[in-house]
Amino acid sequence: MASVAERSQVSAFMAFFIIMSMQIGIGVLGFQRIISKTAGHDAWISVLLAGAAGHLVLALMYWLLQQADGDFILLHQQLFGRWLGNVLSLAMAAYFASMSLVVLRTYIEVIQVWMFPDLRTWEFSLAFLLLCLYITLGGFRIVVGICFFCLIIPSYLLFTFWFVFDYTDFYRLLPILDHPLSNIVKAAKEMTLTMLGYETVLFFYPFLKSGKQSAKWAHAALLTTTLFYTLLTVLTLAYFSEKQLQRQIWATLTMWKMVEMPFIERFEYIGIANWLFVILPNVCLGLWCSSRICKKVLPVRQKTALFLVAIGCFLGTLAIHDRTGVNMINSILNRIGFYFLYVWLPCLAAFTYIRMKVRGKL
Amino acid sequence: MAAPSESVWSMLQTLGCSLDFQTKVYRNQTSGQRIWVSYIEPMIDIEIAVKNIFPYLLHYHFSTLQDLCGALPLDEAYLSSDPNDMKQKLLEGYLLIRLNETDETGLLVKAQKTLERTLTIPEVEFSVVGPKESFIESLETNLYLLRKRIPSDHLTVNMFRVGTLSKTKLAVVYIDGIADPENVQTVSQRIQAVEFDEVIDSSYIVQLISDNRHSLFPQLLDTERPDRVAAVLAEGKVAILVDGSPHALIGPTTLVEFFSSFEDYFLNWIIASFFRLIRLFSVAFSILITPIYVATLNYHYELIPKDLLGTLITSRKEIPFPPIVEVLFLELTIELLREAGARLPTKVGQTIGIVGGIVIGTASVEAGLTSNVLLILVALAALASFTTPVYKMGNTIRLMRFPFLLFAEMWGLLGVAFCFCIVMTHLLSLTSLGRPFLAPLYPPRWKDWKDALIRLPFTSQAKRPSSLRTPQPIRFDGKKAKEKRDIDE
Repeated sequence: MASVAERSQVSAFMAFFIIMSMQIGIGVLGFQRIISKTAGHDAWISVLLAGAAGHLVLALMYWLLQQADGDFILLHQQLFGRWLGNVLSLAMAAYFASMSLVVLRTYIEVIQVWMFPDLRTWEFSLAFLLLCLYITLGGFRIVVGICFFCLIIPSYLLFTFWFVFDYTDFYRLLPILDHPLSNIVKAAKEMTLTMLGYETVLFFYPFLKSGKQSAKWAHAALLTTTLFYTLLTVLTLAYFSEKQLQRQIWATLTMWKMVEMPFIERFEYIGIANWLFVILPNVCLGLWCSSRICKKVLPVRQKTALFLVAIGCFLGTLAIHDRTGVNMINSILNRIGFYFLYVWLPCLAAFTYIRMKVRGKL
Repeated sequence: MAAPSESVWSMLQTLGCSLDFQTKVYRNQTSGQRIWVSYIEPMIDIEIAVKNIFPYLLHYHFSTLQDLCGALPLDEAYLSSDPNDMKQKLLEGYLLIRLNETDETGLLVKAQKTLERTLTIPEVEFSVVGPKESFIESLETNLYLLRKRIPSDHLTVNMFRVGTLSKTKLAVVYIDGIADPENVQTVSQRIQAVEFDEVIDSSYIVQLISDNRHSLFPQLLDTERPDRVAAVLAEGKVAILVDGSPHALIGPTTLVEFFSSFEDYFLNWIIASFFRLIRLFSVAFSILITPIYVATLNYHYELIPKDLLGTLITSRKEIPFPPIVEVLFLELTIELLREAGARLPTKVGQTIGIVGGIVIGTASVEAGLTSNVLLILVALAALASFTTPVYKMGNTIRLMRFPFLLFAEMWGLLGVAFCFCIVMTHLLSLTSLGRPFLAPLYPPRWKDWKDALIRLPFTSQAKRPSSLRTPQPIRFDGKKAKEKRDIDE
């Protein structure tokens, strides 16, 4: 905990901006189809459910962090010994790096589908990662600054959903709880990727000035995101019929097509360009977390680790060529995220609890 | 610095190489004592010398320089035997009086000529209402203008000299107990570390002590208004005045401060806030409009509704160039006009403006080189860039649209967003005297937003900006200022 200098720390309430900007990412553009596949017009309940589960996991994370004095890597070492613990931490590093990769590659896919069919993947990926390096090399405070502005600036996009209201039919949401609970839970599981992002708190926690007070901000962020997603889901379900929605890979973008002003039509172009702001903190914080773990575990400087991770991401984006590849990495990350949050973290908590009990007895 | 072994004699020999250096011998008429008087002629105010010094030299009975020193009706007179000090003072306009040509000790008497222009109205930061005096090239006068506005014993002035050749006097001014001592420390340290020979103006100092010397963005605010300096000193900032420069520097500054004109404080807060928002909007417009034009016409013409697209196409159908060439042609023309206007004398400049603006503009549209719509946009963008109240920021804004244009040409709107992110990151990493440049936006200091993008009434400004970390955060009793009154009382 003491290893972080005060000038690179940020106030506790910035946790709100970090977590929210990290959560809202590429998933928002098209999560509606996936969750309504199983839960139909009850999908909004799944979103709430996923949010509730998120709150539990987040509370668990804070509990775990308290046990290890705010250092998750230390927790790994305490539980599994130095060697195995470090391997697990490195797995986390790989996880965050792949998160950056998935977000970036999916965004490039969106651009290629909606805006520039002939955009060269390597070209944009290289430029984007260079920008991320520029940000991340500035240190955590700059990364948080980006999180802050990249949440504030695109927030005007919320108003654009107003245009959709004219075309909605809220009777489509009825009857409520029409689907079996198992389907709703399954859909909530599919929400994982879209909700993902708050686990970064495990690693940026030492960079908050008063870590314990950040819990309420982290929960507030999670709550806001959940409400935003619920609202968006309700709106989408009311806008599209169920069959129509199944054909919309990027439902949010399709909804933007309805925005019409005297000087602007086809708002999705502006939306996609603006989405650059939304995914920038995702990729940056992913790179930052990943390189931070490497620095703590391996005998490398964070700069070196950062360059390596960025190069890895760059090569990764090149390796995925088409829609199927993008779909695949998305569902893989969704699964890893799910097992990490809802299986691995509770296990860790159980281990920690047992360890505490055993130590207390001895 | 000369070697300490240098004698007064050799020092005077060196000075004597220049023909405006004079050493004259006089004889005291009462004692018959011979007196050597040396001075640099252009630096001497003859009136002071004739009225206040020579009568004593020639008629007063004295045996030592000490006696003479006591008799002179001038404060600035002292005995010295340090050749370096003597040289310095001679160069500044002192008379050196010795009783023997070979004496190593002499009396230095100040007879400095001070020629300065009178106080004029601020021309760069003109305001319709409010005080109309601006700084001039004399440090003493500028300090007087500040002291007059802040008659407080806490107003502290630290003096420095910078420049190995110019030895320019430089004053760091702050209010003790209100300014953060750390900021004063930073400024002083950086000024002492300046390595330069001839410091002409405060803008030299900006470039020498800024946090990031390569940034397009000025990181210290320069102003010619003493009222503005006094106001920010009261907030807890530090000002730097440079002798010979009519512009004071203020730090630590923030980006939003560059978009606030001091006139904002003379107007009602609602009007002032409106003007500030207009200015911010025009800056965004000025930077982004031509890149958006290029992006839209190159890649996203679907964005434009049918009717508007018709207008655009009609105006562009004869143009043989792609949008980027068209835009660069017009933008560069405007820059050319601006530069020509700035270099030429006022009257000729106006003519050039008319010839350039109207003739070239209409002619290029009629010749089919540029479109009408673009001409309007570029002209508006140029106009908007001049709304920035600080001249140096206006330059930055004008230059910034070119990288935006390149990115827009490459990736359309996506490129514009990308370039925006680069600028944002750059701004995030900038600091002014070690304090974040984007404050109070980031790190967010909600309480400071009362005087950032908008300006709330004075009664709500009871606290000094928290980003300045002043030891005395309360300006006045806010509760007393806000009187609550019931109906019909």
